[in-house]
Amino acid sequence: MQRKSTFKIFVLFTIVLVNTGFLFGQNWVVPAEKKAKASPFLFTEVTSKQGEAVYTKNCQSCHGNPGKDNALKSLTPQPPDPAADKMQKNTDGEIFYKISEGKAIMPSFKNILSETDRWDIISYIRSFNKSYTQAAINTNASTSSPVKIRVKFDSITKKLIFSAKKATKKDSVPVVDAETEIFVMRYFGNMQLDSSQQTNDSGIVAFSIPEKLPGDSTGFLKIIVKMNDDATGEKSDTFKLKIGVPTIVPGLTANRAMWNVVSKSPVWLLATYFSILLGVWVFLIYVITRLVKLKKLGKETK
Amino acid sequence: MDNNKNLYENAVSDLLKPIYPNRLFKIWMAFLIVALGVCVYAYTIQLRDGLGVTGMRDYVSWGMYIANFVFFVATSLVGMLISAVLGLTGAKWSAPIARIAEIIALAFAAVAGLVIIVDMGRPDRLLYVFTHGRVQSPIIWDVTVVTTYVVISALLLYIPLIPDLKICSERLDKAPKFQRRIFKILSLGWTGSDEQISLIKKCTRVLAILIIPVALGIHTVTSWLFAVTVRPGWDSTIFGPYFVTGAFVSGCSAVIIAMYFFRKNYKLKDYITDMHFDKMGKLLVLLSLVYLYFNINEFLVPWYKLKKFDAVHLQEMFYGRYAILFWGTQLLGLILPIILLLFRKMRRPSPALVISLFVIAGAWLKRYLIVVPTMEHPFLPIQNVPENFKFYSPTLIETTITAGTIILTLLIITILSKFLPIIPIWETKHNQNESKED
Repeated sequence: MQRKSTFKIFVLFTIVLVNTGFLFGQNWVVPAEKKAKASPFLFTEVTSKQGEAVYTKNCQSCHGNPGKDNALKSLTPQPPDPAADKMQKNTDGEIFYKISEGKAIMPSFKNILSETDRWDIISYIRSFNKSYTQAAINTNASTSSPVKIRVKFDSITKKLIFSAKKATKKDSVPVVDAETEIFVMRYFGNMQLDSSQQTNDSGIVAFSIPEKLPGDSTGFLKIIVKMNDDATGEKSDTFKLKIGVPTIVPGLTANRAMWNVVSKSPVWLLATYFSILLGVWVFLIYVITRLVKLKKLGKETK
Repeated sequence: MDNNKNLYENAVSDLLKPIYPNRLFKIWMAFLIVALGVCVYAYTIQLRDGLGVTGMRDYVSWGMYIANFVFFVATSLVGMLISAVLGLTGAKWSAPIARIAEIIALAFAAVAGLVIIVDMGRPDRLLYVFTHGRVQSPIIWDVTVVTTYVVISALLLYIPLIPDLKICSERLDKAPKFQRRIFKILSLGWTGSDEQISLIKKCTRVLAILIIPVALGIHTVTSWLFAVTVRPGWDSTIFGPYFVTGAFVSGCSAVIIAMYFFRKNYKLKDYITDMHFDKMGKLLVLLSLVYLYFNINEFLVPWYKLKKFDAVHLQEMFYGRYAILFWGTQLLGLILPIILLLFRKMRRPSPALVISLFVIAGAWLKRYLIVVPTMEHPFLPIQNVPENFKFYSPTLIETTITAGTIILTLLIITILSKFLPIIPIWETKHNQNESKED
């Protein structure tokens, strides 16, 4: 009896261990509804070509050239080769989710690449799989009616009020339950403000904005709004709002410096260089004039 | 007076005699030209296929060419030492070897510029160095100062030569007509009037003073190409004087070697005497001692501290991959020559020649040791690269091209020393007269 329970515990322990390993190392669970997500357009040679450009810029440094098995081996977990089975056995929706969300060392690209870019990448990845056939495309999104987004800053509550409406034949109706995010444009990318939220029944979300965000010289900020609704697809818009602190940032190459271009090199350096150069060459030119005189003297005596 | 005149006449015929080409000269020239041809062929391969034919890769991007460049700039500095420093201090003994030193200076400085072009993968883009060069970059300072130094060296060779060119055009009756014409044109209608003499003296003096800061500048700036970086082995505040003294050492040995061959082949025993070898030997000891002092500073101080990255570098030099080369260079190229040259017997022509050959070989290898090991130890880790990216070794083509630059220098020296009187004739006479008047 005693032995049997020890054995049971051992088996249980092994199962747990193997599963945890599987969970952390291998398995990347994608929510069922995201798994089934399909591309809004048909994968063609053109989309695959566009995807290749995006892939080369954003993915290749870790995942390597598809099919060449030259992904970065020093990373843990190791990034899979896109042409390998490990990647190809995912559904399009799974790959889309993984690119968008990221996990551990795989970065999230949803704020970096547009949905179209992400689908283009998948189109490119699939071009390495001969047995792949594309599932039915998400026609909903492509035939959706135009959505109008509005953004307004409420100076009392210090909140950014976002509203989205979809135009129908007669009227316009609010876009309900759409995932919405806002970003502010910074030097090297877009910074997300607040967390992503769902539009309410009136199609409205209120985002809180941090105080004292540095703006341009007159206090303007570029706010990027992204809304994603399964019915209407992704919609993104940019607004310029005067809600930042006016900031004058001197350009990195505005002043004279050693690292700047020649026309903006330090005065002391220019003065030193050219005065030495001139000083030496004045003497050399003097010597040459003496040689000319020497020749004249030779002619005169003749 | 008559006796004196005879002496002068003898001297003129002695000193002009080597100018007629003999068989040995033709064989030597043929050898140099054929050898140079092979090297030029190697360079055409590099031009066609790019710098990939050399051993240089992403990490070691400065190899044998740059080491060779530093060696060339270094050796050219001797012109300033002998014709300016010794000349201005009134050391009369150095007058007969001043022209040898100037010829060496001009040849090495001019070819140094070519070595840099050889190191460029796309020499057709050379013009961009000038059109897009940045005043903030030591490379531009180097280009400026090397060019200036070549011009000063050429003038310093040419101006004292003017009276001798006149003598050549008059006295070389067996030489071809066009050669005498060239001599005549170049002598600028020299008549030997007092006014002309004073002009020549004035010009020589101006140039002799001017060349001192420029020569110090040329090699200090060359050292800055390394010293303005933070890399272990280069990040040093004494790199300027360390390079300048090292330069005098290699230049002095080059002059001793040249003196030996000119004396033997041009039969100039009466003009380049044992005394000259003795004096040059002493000069070489003095300069080597100063250089040794800088070497001790350069290696002992970082070795005492052993900062993280310096330690990696110094271990490779002291008992790693470069140990044999490093200790061989220091012992055979510096310490042993110092000890030997302290003895009078070792400063006689033949032993002085052998010692100088060791010194100059050591000087070349020393430049290699300054350039290459540091490049192999970058601060960033080297990863995921082929094996030949990690360790540099020069290829056959690279070595041939480097040999070509040395052959070209020998060719220039040979031609200049053959078609010009290697010992100043007019000056020798002028000095004799002046000392008689004293």
